[in-house]
Amino acid sequence: MMNDKVVAMLLAGGQGSRLKSLTYTIAKPALPFGGKYRIIDFPLSNCTNSGIETVGVLTQYQPHVLHEYIGLGTPWDLDRHNGGVTMLPPYAEIDGIKWYAGTASAIYQNISFLQSCDPEYVLILSGDHIYKMDYELLVDYHKEHEADVTISVLEVPWEEASRFGVINVNDEMDVLEFDEKPENPKSNLASMGVYVFTWEKLKEYLETDNVDESSSHDFGKDILPSMLQKGEKMVAYPFKGYWKDVGTVESLWEANMDLLDLNSGLNLHDPGWRIFSSNPQLPPQVITGTGNVQGSMVNEGCVISGEVLKSVIFQNVMVEEGASVSESVIMSGVTIGKNVKLHRAIVPPRLDVPEGFEVSNQKDEVVLLTQEQLDEWKERGGK
Amino acid sequence: MNLMAVVDASVKKEGLQDLTMQRTVSSVPFAGRYRLIDFPLSNLVNSGVNTVGVFPTYPFASLLDHIGVGKSWDLDRRKNGLFFLPVTQRDGGISSVGAFGALEEHIQFFTKSIQPHAVVINSFIVSQLDFKDMLDQHIQSGADITEAVSGGVSLKTYILSKDLLIDLIRTHRDKKVVSVEDVVNLKKSPYKFNEYEYEGYFAVIDSVQSYFQASLALLDEENRKQLFLADRPIYTKVKDEPPTRYVSGCHVERALVANGSTIMGQVADSIISRAVYIKKSARVEKCIIMQKCVIEENCDLSYVIADKDVYIGEGVVLHGTAEQPIVLRKGEKVTKEDMR
Repeated sequence: MMNDKVVAMLLAGGQGSRLKSLTYTIAKPALPFGGKYRIIDFPLSNCTNSGIETVGVLTQYQPHVLHEYIGLGTPWDLDRHNGGVTMLPPYAEIDGIKWYAGTASAIYQNISFLQSCDPEYVLILSGDHIYKMDYELLVDYHKEHEADVTISVLEVPWEEASRFGVINVNDEMDVLEFDEKPENPKSNLASMGVYVFTWEKLKEYLETDNVDESSSHDFGKDILPSMLQKGEKMVAYPFKGYWKDVGTVESLWEANMDLLDLNSGLNLHDPGWRIFSSNPQLPPQVITGTGNVQGSMVNEGCVISGEVLKSVIFQNVMVEEGASVSESVIMSGVTIGKNVKLHRAIVPPRLDVPEGFEVSNQKDEVVLLTQEQLDEWKERGGK
Repeated sequence: MNLMAVVDASVKKEGLQDLTMQRTVSSVPFAGRYRLIDFPLSNLVNSGVNTVGVFPTYPFASLLDHIGVGKSWDLDRRKNGLFFLPVTQRDGGISSVGAFGALEEHIQFFTKSIQPHAVVINSFIVSQLDFKDMLDQHIQSGADITEAVSGGVSLKTYILSKDLLIDLIRTHRDKKVVSVEDVVNLKKSPYKFNEYEYEGYFAVIDSVQSYFQASLALLDEENRKQLFLADRPIYTKVKDEPPTRYVSGCHVERALVANGSTIMGQVADSIISRAVYIKKSARVEKCIIMQKCVIEENCDLSYVIADKDVYIGEGVVLHGTAEQPIVLRKGEKVTKEDMR
């Protein structure tokens, strides 16, 4: 495995306000995904599969579910005597509580944690991205290029490039310029928010940034531009494969649908790169005599007596007779009553969708079901 | 809890030979994602018992791999917990439950433990027995030995005081009795016996036939409701398998399916374990397909038990009967050429 010590710092404090009610009580990295996972399983499993054994998880917004979920890190083999996972919420000091003001300030405030780990390299990861990536290759690339910082980049369609932080490079993949959401992008290489820093360099810049009153203490906006300006060696690492930043209800839905496409590049059935997760103790799923499941993923504990087409079904979901669910994401513990019709719906955990309920989304937009919506429907007498 | 447990995992069942070439009866896969031993172990922890000795004979590698230090059952403890106590073939491997010779090999397990009562159980009967309830009834009855029964069928589960058990272990040669089961079945006996009537699901797995029937009986909702209780879960060693994929064009009805599988063909009235691959136009009816089996295109199978890692090549046709299901042994490869 890795010779020089790498510590991963996983930023998991994000709110994800565009995910609406899905993230009222949990942080975005804790969001359920893919029938049994939470999004943070992906970067954590990438660490395990890449041989990274020391991981700090930085939490701030609604941290309880995440803290409980990650626990000692057992599902990811991160319950170690040396290293392992450390949860890093904001904390109080003699001169007050210091909230994480930005991505860089979150790392700065945990400099003492990093110093105690004594790493050669620090890997900065985001807890809300869905992808499978071998970080060992990224660190090797960083070493080969003798870089101070390496930014992982992804080729995106040109028409979408203006939604991303775009990186302009020369033929040697040296970074020349940063363009945060440019109107007229000069390149289609998007930053994935995955960085490797040589620790000594990172420390130096974090300390300078901390005392800069004009800084927003963000990696993309402050630290990286300032390193570029000072002429530090900055290279781009071209990542190839599936990568998705799940920021909205639509993109969460899309990412789930991608799982159903056998050619999407996101294969969960690869025994060589398992996505680890906590595994609830539930009986196998049952497809009854009236059930019909097509082009879908179904988790344990489910009983399917209705029709399920192109959908992702989490654990412990009941789909009753006569119900029809298509192109939908049904989260854990949901009951879909008799004759319910759902198309392009996301149903949050433990919702009880009453008999006869129908989602009327003719325009094919994705609908996020809420308890309020169901209550109103019942008040109207089921219309 | 003042009860310790002996899980006799050394009992041999001739009728299960095809499924126990490389494992003990206790580690025979059941219900898609479990091993038989999961049921007694889960019943014990759900009853509050946390001192558990598992007594297997060879070949116990798969059992050891499965239960490990007992983490899945919360039996990885500093105080009490799971004790893995293998016994020699000479003393174990008989057909009655609680062989004294086998228990004698680990007499310290009994002398060192602090619980005054012991329950001796087997791992070939699947049930939801509540040992706390059974112990309460045993103490109330004032009997020396209590046997669990259900509708006249012995569940081969016995509660007795630990002192009596130790005494029986030490003196069994003079008394010419070989096991706890043997003592209970003696016609003349100085002991006072009591029966504990269990009402609920149970299945005795002692032959390929009974295994097949008990497995398919789980497709009946009533049986599942009695065996899989939300407040008394059946624990097992978990695997990080993704949810099962049902590819468009598949047809699945009346099936119990574990995670990690990919189904493209037709499945009816069957048990499909973890990480099974059933390819296009294959037909699987009234079958038990265990972990990591691959069933190629255009196969036609009915009344087949395919043990772990079985490969069934394209176009293979195999039809057993309810009385005599075809058993494909662990790792077996079957191709159309073999069929001629």
